[in-house]
Amino acid sequence: MLIPCPHCGTRPVEEFTFLGDAAPTRPTTNDPSTMEAWYEYVYLRNNPRGAIEEYAHHSGGCRSWLVVSRNTETHEVFGAVPARDFTRAKGAKA
Amino acid sequence: MTSYRLDKGGLIDRSTALRFTFDGALHVGHQGDTLASALLANGVTLMGRSFKYHRPRSVITAGAAEPNALVELREGGRKEANTRATMIELYDGLVSKSQNNWPSLDFDVGALTSLASSVFVAGFYYKTFMWPKSFWEKIYEPIIRRAAGLGTASKLPDPDKYEKSYAHCDVLVIGSGPTGLMAALAAARQAKRVILADESSRLGGSLLNEQEEIGGTSGYEWTQGVIAELGSMPNVTLLPRTTIMGWFDGNIFGAVERVSDHLRVPDPYEPRQRYWKIHAKRAVLAAGAEERPVAFGGNDMPGVMTASAMRTYANRYAAAAGRSVVVFGGNDSIYRTARDLKSHGIHVEAIVDSRKESKADAAGTPVLRGALVADAVGGKAVKSVHLADGTHINCEAVAMSGGFSPIVNLACHRGKKPVWDAKLLAFLPPDNGEAFTVAGSAASRMLLSECLADGAAKGAVDGKPITVPKCRDEAFAISPLWWVKESHGKAFIDYQNDATAKDLPLAAREGYSDVELAKRYTTTGMATDQGKLGNINAIAILAEATGRTMDEVGTTTFRPFYTPVSFGAFTGPFTGHHFQPVRKTPLHDWAEEQGAVFVETGLWMRSSWFPREGEDWLASASREVLNTRGAVGICDVSTLGKIDVQGKDAGQFLDRLYCNTFSTLAVGKARYGLMLREDGIVYDDGTTSRLAEDHYVMTTTTANAAKVMAQMEFAHQALFPDLDVTYVSVTEQWAQMAVAGPKSRPTLQKLMDELVMTDESVPYMAALEVSIMGGIPARLFRLSFSGEHAYELAVPADYGSMVARAVMQAGDEFGITPYGVEALSIMRIEKGHVAGGELNGTTTAGDLGMGKMVSAKKDFIGRMMAQREGLTDPNRQAVVGIRPVNPADRIRAGAHLLKQDDTPSMKNDQGYVTGVAWSPMLDMWVGLALFANGRARHGEIVQVWDGLRGHRVMAEICDPMHFDKENKRLHA
Amino acid sequence: MPETAHMTERTFNRVSPLQDVALQGRFGADKGAVGVTFTVRHPMSIITVIARAGQGAATAAALKGHDAQWAGPDQYFVLAENRGEGALYRELKAKLSGLASVSDQSHGRVIIRLVGPRARAVLAKGTPVDLHPDAFPLGKSALTQMAHVGVHLTRVGADSYDVSVFRGFSESFWEWITEQAEEFGYQVI
Repeated sequence: MLIPCPHCGTRPVEEFTFLGDAAPTRPTTNDPSTMEAWYEYVYLRNNPRGAIEEYAHHSGGCRSWLVVSRNTETHEVFGAVPARDFTRAKGAKA
Repeated sequence: MTSYRLDKGGLIDRSTALRFTFDGALHVGHQGDTLASALLANGVTLMGRSFKYHRPRSVITAGAAEPNALVELREGGRKEANTRATMIELYDGLVSKSQNNWPSLDFDVGALTSLASSVFVAGFYYKTFMWPKSFWEKIYEPIIRRAAGLGTASKLPDPDKYEKSYAHCDVLVIGSGPTGLMAALAAARQAKRVILADESSRLGGSLLNEQEEIGGTSGYEWTQGVIAELGSMPNVTLLPRTTIMGWFDGNIFGAVERVSDHLRVPDPYEPRQRYWKIHAKRAVLAAGAEERPVAFGGNDMPGVMTASAMRTYANRYAAAAGRSVVVFGGNDSIYRTARDLKSHGIHVEAIVDSRKESKADAAGTPVLRGALVADAVGGKAVKSVHLADGTHINCEAVAMSGGFSPIVNLACHRGKKPVWDAKLLAFLPPDNGEAFTVAGSAASRMLLSECLADGAAKGAVDGKPITVPKCRDEAFAISPLWWVKESHGKAFIDYQNDATAKDLPLAAREGYSDVELAKRYTTTGMATDQGKLGNINAIAILAEATGRTMDEVGTTTFRPFYTPVSFGAFTGPFTGHHFQPVRKTPLHDWAEEQGAVFVETGLWMRSSWFPREGEDWLASASREVLNTRGAVGICDVSTLGKIDVQGKDAGQFLDRLYCNTFSTLAVGKARYGLMLREDGIVYDDGTTSRLAEDHYVMTTTTANAAKVMAQMEFAHQALFPDLDVTYVSVTEQWAQMAVAGPKSRPTLQKLMDELVMTDESVPYMAALEVSIMGGIPARLFRLSFSGEHAYELAVPADYGSMVARAVMQAGDEFGITPYGVEALSIMRIEKGHVAGGELNGTTTAGDLGMGKMVSAKKDFIGRMMAQREGLTDPNRQAVVGIRPVNPADRIRAGAHLLKQDDTPSMKNDQGYVTGVAWSPMLDMWVGLALFANGRARHGEIVQVWDGLRGHRVMAEICDPMHFDKENKRLHA
Repeated sequence: MPETAHMTERTFNRVSPLQDVALQGRFGADKGAVGVTFTVRHPMSIITVIARAGQGAATAAALKGHDAQWAGPDQYFVLAENRGEGALYRELKAKLSGLASVSDQSHGRVIIRLVGPRARAVLAKGTPVDLHPDAFPLGKSALTQMAHVGVHLTRVGADSYDVSVFRGFSESFWEWITEQAEEFGYQVI
């Protein structure tokens, strides 16, 4: 499988370390009443059949965290963006 | 006739004489032969015994699909079992042995199973050896395995090298027959980067085997012109002897190049095999088609082979399968077979055509139309054939053709299934889009002209097409011919696993009619050849037995690898001392000089202890501790992870990473930090120093350095991207040594250029940039893991050993000693400092006695989850010290703790010992433990129960700090 | 740097981690021309420069005139030969103050230079990066892995490449990469 690293160009998956679904957002509050949200953020991840956006660390390359969009069923890789941009975009939407 | 070598022709060099042995008998062949062709030419037709019935077997094919002629090749560490004689290029000195026979190939006791074969039907083993269950592993299986083995592996190390390499291309062409050559040429002339790979020793594919005419010359001559042109182009890489064995995601292909398998031993410095990972923008599969055998009685007898194999042996290798031949099939290729054999002077008794009519030219050979060969008659060699109508024909060999199956394996490796074409009687490759196309007979193009044109078109999808040369076509028509039911003898479908045609209806009758179940029930397609010859026949028979179409039955799953791949190829060079890289510290040379014994810590080699004559590890480590605590010692701590953290928000970033606060740390000071995971469990610890307002250097444990770095990168990039902070590992830049003990200060003082070391200038937890030894920039930290008055001195790595020697010299008057990680570990347990045994992925800051460090004023990773009820429960196991009641007793790490009178059980478990050490200061074993509600139970007497080693002692729970509780030495 | 600056730079005897390993001579296949020539570039000044937030372009501009190799997003290795201990580090730290973080890696990394017609083939045994001149032009750098070791790879000439690895791995890596060159014949100078 090839991952299009936005910094390094296309590299094989062996150079990457995956961390799972990038959809959950770290809660910003430390209020005890938000414990449920924290629990979900820390422990619950989707593992869908089909499209997913996943964290991937280019650990064998530029060491950037990326968000890779791919299809778990067909193994098609649609693209990858820096996690930084993904987080900022998510923040802008929220 | 003693020789079956034809008098002329063939792509063999008759001027060479290559001597080789098969089962000890010496034979001679020629350059250009395979082991199979050389054996045939020498009249050796008995090449092996079959897997289950031990039937005599010879070659069925002339290529990669060969299921029968499997031999042990070479000897000693180079011995290789199950090699296909059809793929082994002959070399002088080749040594080969038949497999699967006892006591000899000619007289095999195992063949008696064939006489009792009515009981040895599919599923026999499963049904018979079920009871008693316990007998399976110890009795039945070993006996069956001995009887049914396929060669033996060498137990000696393989002396040869294997290699791995990446390759990149615009167009990968797989197969170098007429289609592949045209595809490669078309792409290459467009200046594309082309790789042309073929599993055979020579490029040319079927054109090496057949009598064809292209562009007014012979097919062979034409290949030579094209190969010469391709070879002259810098954008083309030719890879003969290279099997593309798998197609993977991203259009990546795995390939094995047999660099030296055709040599007795590899040339010096050459690998035996090279494993390629080919990244291809586009690929064209031109692998050709496999000719199918026909299921009739004795279709496995030496002398029976596919028609194309018999033509190949005659045309390419000038070897005759027999003096007189019967050709049998249901398609037109049998006619060209007869003509080719005749052209070599081989007598063809008859063409037996299952069809009523055919337009093909028999060139004077008698044709029996609408006839079927029911049985081959003979034993170790064919003597005659019986036709279904009772006709009897004497012959020495039978050429058979059930049709052609496109070699679509690679096109199906990524999950798509092939599609049945009822007219062509073939499974066609699935549509995989532009990046992977299939051309020529692999796409069921049966005419040469079609193959040339298809190759040219698919090699160049855009741009200028190349001219397709004119050629002579063989007409082709086909009718179904799978199984001659009039047979009396065994009609084999899967030769290698001895599965017969009758096994498939049996499987259907017993309920295993699904193709995947039938495969496993009958073992059809499960051998090393993965059913290349027999699977389509099996599907047809299964379809008929169950009243389904071929499509409804479908194929089993095609998986990599196309042909077997040696472990050596996958391992490549990463074996022996290259199994994993070794990481050495900058003080390695110095430590070696000091006689260090090294221990692997991750990839690092760390000095473990420094024994003097007659000392074992414990004596050495104990002396190192006494010496350090008594005077001064020096220890290599370079392996600790060191990360430069800089930027306006560096302090704030560290505050997020650690549960305690760093933004308030004064410049020139260090602070111990505890890092949690987001789930609230402790992740790592270490000291972080502030060198400037916007510059910190943090340290991690040796084991977690890489993981912590990745965590920081995640925290910054994915969680807090707006922090203005940078971080980079500087672990390798610095050689770092701990200098500990009451004489550490006077020792180090001698190295300082200007600094006068006092408690005021270098207070506890100071972190200073200093100059030593006449200008070498260094960092001096007053830190202590040992509990002694101690420092860590960091210098640029290239000076490491030199500085360590200087420290040794400076400390000489005090009796300085080097100490290793064993002594370090003893001292940390004496002082109750936590390390890997306690930071073990289950403990909280509170468990470690560091609950007070956790800030309530800021957000940090792990803050919320650490507050969960379960993680703050006072009954959690906390770190305590433990020491035996009787000082002569030994406590062992891993032992569990029980109340005084309890019996060992999960319910009664109170905790366990995380680390122990023989304390030379206290003259006893002391340890650390995780103990339920431990801090409230100091003074309690417990059982230390070591069930594993059958050991039980009484011990007292105490403060983790066993030695110097007031920390007087630290500040001395 | 002006001559006077060198006068004030102090040098000490730096010991390369490959001192006892990278021995001069010709090795491997001994027929014909050597395929690869290896050199250990030591001692070197190697400085990591990472732009601070929003300062990527300014940092790149400030590094003009330096031998600055791309080493990640907004990140560079700045190299120099024949500089005194810490001199380039101090120079860049002053020059890039407020623009970028500067860390000295001069002792932490080892640069091995490969020159020769088979240099590319040797590197292809380790890295999945396509080194064809069209894909990897002169001056281009890549961060990748070879033989399980992270490397920084730069094309420095028509058939010349610099491979930089962490110091601790350098001996292990040297043994691996020179072994890969045996079939082509190599020399160490």
